[in-house]
Amino acid sequence: MKKYLLSLLLLLSIQGMAQEVGLRPRRAWYLPDHLKLQFAGNIGFLSGGPGYVSRNKTLETDLLFGFLPQKYGGDALVTTTLKTTYSPWRIGLRDSYYIRPFSIGAYLSYTFGPQFDTKWPSYYPAGYYWWATAIRPGAYIGGKAGRNVVLNNRRRSFELYYELGTYDLLVISYVQNKGFLKLHDIVSLSLGVKFGFD
Amino acid sequence: MLRWSHLGLSLGLAFLLTSCDDLFQYNPNEETLLDRDKDLTAKNIARISQLPVSDTTRFILMGDSQRWYDECEDFVRSANQQKNISFVLHAGDISDFGLTQEFKWVNEIMTRLKYPYVTVIGNHDIVANGSATYRKMFGPLNYSFGFGRDRFIFVNTNSREYAFDGSVPDVAWLKAQLADNPAHQNTIVVGHVPPFDADFDKNLEKPYTAALANDPTVKFTLYGHQHRFYEGQFYDDGVNYHLTTSMGARGYMVVSTWEGGYRVERVNF
Repeated sequence: MKKYLLSLLLLLSIQGMAQEVGLRPRRAWYLPDHLKLQFAGNIGFLSGGPGYVSRNKTLETDLLFGFLPQKYGGDALVTTTLKTTYSPWRIGLRDSYYIRPFSIGAYLSYTFGPQFDTKWPSYYPAGYYWWATAIRPGAYIGGKAGRNVVLNNRRRSFELYYELGTYDLLVISYVQNKGFLKLHDIVSLSLGVKFGFD
Repeated sequence: MLRWSHLGLSLGLAFLLTSCDDLFQYNPNEETLLDRDKDLTAKNIARISQLPVSDTTRFILMGDSQRWYDECEDFVRSANQQKNISFVLHAGDISDFGLTQEFKWVNEIMTRLKYPYVTVIGNHDIVANGSATYRKMFGPLNYSFGFGRDRFIFVNTNSREYAFDGSVPDVAWLKAQLADNPAHQNTIVVGHVPPFDADFDKNLEKPYTAALANDPTVKFTLYGHQHRFYEGQFYDDGVNYHLTTSMGARGYMVVSTWEGGYRVERVNF
């Protein structure tokens, strides 16, 4: 983990390159605006994938493919996740650094496997179990810091983000057991990087 | 650059200091367990086998702790005030969603008992990756152990979770266990779903209840699942069926056994 963080910091510190910008035509609309790689967050050990950002850059929507190796999860699990993050404020800093101090978002994840259901089999009476085991809705808050750079004469951005999140089944458990469960019992941390093609 | 590395360093330190084993979670259905959370059935049977045996054996039957953690904590407080209890039996539905996290929470509460506890698997414990986690955390789904004059057989009776395919409960295994009783100990069969429940395989109800009735060492048998106290000799065959209620209903049973007899008391907390 430390190794990756170090190389990431190195990457962020790459200075300058050429300073003239944006000579290329605008990219086709369907090409993703960014790629993300995320660690943890109940959607895989590592998850990554493309995403789009709104014109004013406050709303991001990502499609992430996650994998949890058996070594870290006891079971190897593959997950796809659709997530949307709203980061309303941007604070510019020196040297084209910036932070987006607050993000809020939600996701819907699908975990593959014969032991997970979206619809319970017919041998259960209707409503026997009320939740689907394959699909998990979750929500999180977080923040990020980034830097605009120019690489090979193209505008690019790097961002580091963190999220503190939970999901439906844990929220219900918490609401009904505020004596035993504390907020930190149901909230977990995730960390990620975003590479933007601005 | 300096500030970035400072930030990275202090973040890293903060994570290390938090040293919380589930700060990062990878999937709701992950089965990550610390060694101390593994093989609990074997570990707790080892503790039980060290206990002194007296003329009367007293143990607690509780169950259905699913998503009732606050109530389960109150149960532990109440149970710890009982006198001369040797161990606690959990009648299943330890978890509600079959999540490893739930099993860990209940185990955290149950380890505050002054007594060792053993479990039988409930239908909710089989959902999603639940039965895989149960195997790692507790042990086999069917097992038995002896203590004093008594012998306890724990059997998975959650037929619906296996689409009523005839494999659960494993009646052949149960019969073999019943037959393997050279010391003629009292046999106490413990399951989650009682045989008269709609979640029990109708085709196996008769073979199962007959197996119990045909064994003269079986005087009574214990269950959970219906979230109510309930008892009776439902098959007119000399075997008494006792159901304990849920943690949500704030009740449990204290069972006493002695040479030639037994008693069941209901406790509300």
